[in-house]
Amino acid sequence: MTQTPDFKGTHLFDRLCWAKENLDGVQSDYRVVYESSIDECAKILVPDPNWMACALQGGILPPVWVYHELAKDEAQPDFKKHTRGYLLHETEPMPAMTEEEAIEYLIMKDCPQSVWQTWDEGNRPKMVICTKQQLPQTREWRNAWRISDDLTVAA
Amino acid sequence: MAGKIIADTLEHSTAGSIATNYVVNGVEKCWVNLNGTGTIAIRGSLNVASLTDDGTGDYQINYVSAAADLNYSSRAVSNQYHCIITNGLKATSSNNVRTYNSSHSSDDPAQVNYGFLGDLA
Repeated sequence: MTQTPDFKGTHLFDRLCWAKENLDGVQSDYRVVYESSIDECAKILVPDPNWMACALQGGILPPVWVYHELAKDEAQPDFKKHTRGYLLHETEPMPAMTEEEAIEYLIMKDCPQSVWQTWDEGNRPKMVICTKQQLPQTREWRNAWRISDDLTVAA
Repeated sequence: MAGKIIADTLEHSTAGSIATNYVVNGVEKCWVNLNGTGTIAIRGSLNVASLTDDGTGDYQINYVSAAADLNYSSRAVSNQYHCIITNGLKATSSNNVRTYNSSHSSDDPAQVNYGFLGDLA
């Protein structure tokens, strides 16, 4: 297995360039289906193969809380430019994750917090992790897709 | 990292020279080629964490390394009639692309290509 260099302090973009050259992409079968609004169809999160390779490799990606801190900064009304971008590059990178842990990380990074923090509150789940084979195989009526009411949710 | 070269100018034997800040500033900081038909899939990419399929012809690209500010320049093309970058949904960590057919209806193209130029955080 390719050894990850000590990347703490290395710009995250440089790490991604290293990963692109040295790691094979990993096409995950997992998909995350979520509903962020009752007025909109279900959305589907698709992991990027290069990103998944970085997550499985370890030592490349920053902890997910870094993204939450940057999001807080960007939500400020007077936001002009990130002043804490160093968090992406100088925080100790995440160790190797399993594919399942990587999906959990990705949910916390790229799904709205209002979805993943309360996914099982309410009358029906707002979010489901499934495989791509469990999704409709054609995109017919895509804008009407919803999470099935018949779903059995694992505890 | 090993193999680091620090230089302000690159010079070709016959074609002239270029300042390295042109190279640094002129390189795309993110690119992705995706298939919008069937089960959405990413064919190739750099600096992309995930893609969100928001509906017919409606895609969000989520970055790994965020842009420094909202002034970055993004572009999107597809093999459909229109391809637009949605105003109001741009963030330093993501952007939204929509595609339309010749009847101006949302449609899923086989090829959607997106990228941006600008500073990273």
